[in-house]
Amino acid sequence: MENQKFYYDNKTVKLFLLATIIWGVVAVLVGVLIACQLAFPAFNFGLEYTTFGRMRPLHTNAVIFAFVGNAIFAGVYYSLQKLLKARLFSDVLSKIHFWGWQLIIVLAAVTFTLGISTSKEYAELEWPIDILLTVVWVIFGWNMIGTILKRRVQHIYAAIWWYLATFLGVALLHVVNSFELPISLIKSYPIYAGAQDAVVQWWYGHNAVAFFLTTPFLGLMYYYLPKAANRPIYSYRLSIIHFWSLIFLYMWAGPHHLLYQALPEWVQALGVTFSIMLIAPSWGGMINGLLTLRGAWDKVRDSAVLKFFVVAVTAYGMSTFEGPMMSLRNVNQMTHFTDWTIAHTHIAGMAWNGGMTFGMLYWLLPRIFRTKLYSEKLANTHFWIATLSILVYAIPLYWSAVTQWLMLREYTPEGFLAYPNFLETLTQILPMYTLRIISGIMFLTGFLIMVYNLFKTMAAGSVEANEAAEAPALVLAGKRKPLNETIHRWMERKTVRFSIWVFVALFIGGAIQIIPMIFIKSNIPTIDTVTPYTPLELEGRDVYVKEGCYTCHSQVIRPFRWETDRYGDYSKIGEFVYDHPFLWGSRRTGPDLARAGYVNGPMYKNSAWHYNHFMDPQKMNEQSIMPRYDWFAKKDVNLDMTPNKIRAMQTLGVPYPEGFDEQAVDDLLWQANQIVAELKLSGIEIEPTKEMVAMIAYMHKLGRDIEPNTNQNLDSHDTGE
Amino acid sequence: MEENKNVDEHLDEHNYDGIQELDNPPPRWIMMLFYITIGFAIIYAAYFFWLDVGDLQDARYVKKSEIHETRYQLASQSSDEIVALTDAADIEEGKSIYKEMSCFACHGMLGEGNAIGPNLCDDTWLYGCDFQSVFNIIKNGNAAKGMTPFKTQLSDARIQKVSSYLLSLKDSKPPNAKGPQGETCE
Ligand code: HEC
Ligand code: HEC
Repeated sequence: MENQKFYYDNKTVKLFLLATIIWGVVAVLVGVLIACQLAFPAFNFGLEYTTFGRMRPLHTNAVIFAFVGNAIFAGVYYSLQKLLKARLFSDVLSKIHFWGWQLIIVLAAVTFTLGISTSKEYAELEWPIDILLTVVWVIFGWNMIGTILKRRVQHIYAAIWWYLATFLGVALLHVVNSFELPISLIKSYPIYAGAQDAVVQWWYGHNAVAFFLTTPFLGLMYYYLPKAANRPIYSYRLSIIHFWSLIFLYMWAGPHHLLYQALPEWVQALGVTFSIMLIAPSWGGMINGLLTLRGAWDKVRDSAVLKFFVVAVTAYGMSTFEGPMMSLRNVNQMTHFTDWTIAHTHIAGMAWNGGMTFGMLYWLLPRIFRTKLYSEKLANTHFWIATLSILVYAIPLYWSAVTQWLMLREYTPEGFLAYPNFLETLTQILPMYTLRIISGIMFLTGFLIMVYNLFKTMAAGSVEANEAAEAPALVLAGKRKPLNETIHRWMERKTVRFSIWVFVALFIGGAIQIIPMIFIKSNIPTIDTVTPYTPLELEGRDVYVKEGCYTCHSQVIRPFRWETDRYGDYSKIGEFVYDHPFLWGSRRTGPDLARAGYVNGPMYKNSAWHYNHFMDPQKMNEQSIMPRYDWFAKKDVNLDMTPNKIRAMQTLGVPYPEGFDEQAVDDLLWQANQIVAELKLSGIEIEPTKEMVAMIAYMHKLGRDIEPNTNQNLDSHDTGE
Repeated sequence: MEENKNVDEHLDEHNYDGIQELDNPPPRWIMMLFYITIGFAIIYAAYFFWLDVGDLQDARYVKKSEIHETRYQLASQSSDEIVALTDAADIEEGKSIYKEMSCFACHGMLGEGNAIGPNLCDDTWLYGCDFQSVFNIIKNGNAAKGMTPFKTQLSDARIQKVSSYLLSLKDSKPPNAKGPQGETCE
């Protein structure tokens, strides 16, 4: 058959590789910064732009979307072309994809720093950037599927199955989780409320881990690991089984982030059981990777690339065992809200995603630049520093989690909490936070050594932007031959059909949780005494969202005696029906705030206390690591937006009386003046329109509705009747 | 590659950019593991939902709370039976409770008072200066006015100690003391 001549697009791959390196440094740097902030609050610099609540989303998003994202695109675009013997579908799409993605990252960095955020973890981007992200993602998919359709190879290889699942999975997750009602260019409210929002968000959050941090990397593993080791894949059949079982089961497991919280039990049970069932499919990937290295272990000793891969794949296996264990309810009691989860994510992030990316960079970059790696020795040094830093990260944080959990639930012989002051448990684990900084600096050092090594490599070589290649044109094989072709083998050449089945497998798990949560009323038992937020409280809530208080504070109390004694009665589903978005949080660096407004509870603090605390938490409590928020006393709430916000809430079904938007500002000022008067009694002068006043009102709303009439003076004016 | 030739069957036709695939079956144990976890899921669902044996979280909380209550008889004494302590060690412990519970956040490091809470070292008191009154306000608080009730966090014995510590501060005259609040009282 006649050979066709074509050219591989190496330029796009090169651009994504460079972006991976540059954003990687940024992501790790911000990580080190927030690690410093948690040990020494002075690193918040007293500036609103650099407080922990804003920097933490910057770190997580930079790692996921900037560092890992660019690595995925580089790795996918290179391997895709080679596996399909075809140039990328369209140069224009490749270009838009690259620059569009970088634009999203820059916009994310700018908006997070300015406090523009939806507060949904790993989905903090506001709606215009969400739309941009959707467009760029579709362009990626279009480019990939276009390449697949004009391939010169009959079957699509396992790596590409994973790439397809990645594209379809992320598209589905992102779109469903981003349904939000905009009220301005920089502010929107999710259409889901409370427990519904929680289910949707953690269906997304969990599967962002699956379809952004796992499936693409399994795809990369299926290409780069056998390439680097020059060994065949251990088991084709295992590839098939673990692919389909993994993508199908993952989508169900999200609720394991919400165990013991205000969520119907059947949804929680799905989270538990499907997480357990995920162990074997995940390990399928690990063993197929490790067994592929059979007979190549001698190479592993010398090659930094293979060492990174081995550590990555092993860490993947560890994390995918640990994750399901953390989904067991008894274990989850301890791991949730403590540093355990943080350690877990960093083993996965630093070792699995980091390791795969580093290995891939060391293997691929010299090939793209047609030269040898500048220094194998430096690469090995990087490997050892990185591996050690992961241990220095994880071990102290596991220790911290266990210690804090034991302290939080310890009782004195008389039956009182042994450490009723939350801060005592935090002070105990602070030394571990210092160790974490050391780990971060080590990891960063390793990273910089790699950057040096790779830049030296680049300087020595040059890229062939369009690399010539030849292959015969593809003659489609036609009908399935039942005797010597399995159905799966046949599907591997029917790529559209293959993709549709992938989508079906992905769709089911999410649909079964989310649709009943939204449409079946009995899943959300309402509570009559729960009232909507007053305009002032709503403004305060928006400040809470903007500042990212949810990164340190939870707002959901679990039904354990040691939590109810400390924070107040446990949270009920019906308490959250007006919460767009839900703000349950996932880590308690500070105490839970779900009942901060319940006057007779253990958490209540009066207005003057809140004022002083926000002005300077360290003055109240030397050991506190909460950043100061003294600008609350200077910055005004934008009253022009208040009526819009009320109208948006009405659209979303919050039962304010008709025409309440017109009275919203009056109502707001009325309530604010009460707080101002109260503060004045303590000698504090403040204007009613300041963010501080709104925040105090919000704090005093939290959790108080469960017992009516504790705060009549505020309720009577509530709806402006 | 060579040493495995007779064990592993290469799949013909499976060659992607030089990557070949072997026809090995998945290891037995991993399939076993998979079936076991599926079995676990079914038993879990049956246990909690279909057979209704397991307690869901509300019921479990009630049960655990009952156990807790029988284990600790949180019988509180009447404040009349409790008297001020004067032993130096008790006072010292009262001081550490004052610190541990962050009383200083609202009353100042030395009890001098601040923008939030009143001076606790002078001779004016909002709730009375006798031991029982001090004990009561710490125990029951006045949440609406900003004084946290400590009855769920501190045992009577510890409230006794911190109260005794406060009374020992009388006339300590710390710097920056807050002005008088409440009635003068001896
Ligand atoms: C870096 C993590 C962190 C961030 C971010 C943070 N906090 Fe805190 N917060 C803490 C810690 C730790 C404590 C406990 C020590 C103390 O009282 O300062 C605390 C305590 C509190 C308390 C007192 C709870 C009580 O009754 O004991 C409130 C209220 C509070 N924070 C509100 C907020 C709000 C509102 C924001 C956002 C504007 C916020 N926090 C941001 C860590 C944080
Ligand atoms: C959140 C702030 C806060 C904390 C924490 C706090 N207090 Fe108070 N306390 C107050 C306020 C405010 C008042 C005054 C209440 C009023 O005006 O009626 C008060 C009143 C008192 C009084 C009565 C004073 C008088 O003049 O009669 C005593 C005694 C007292 N507190 C002791 C303590 C002790 C001991 C602790 C620690 C275990 C503590 N407080 C913790 C805010 C606090």
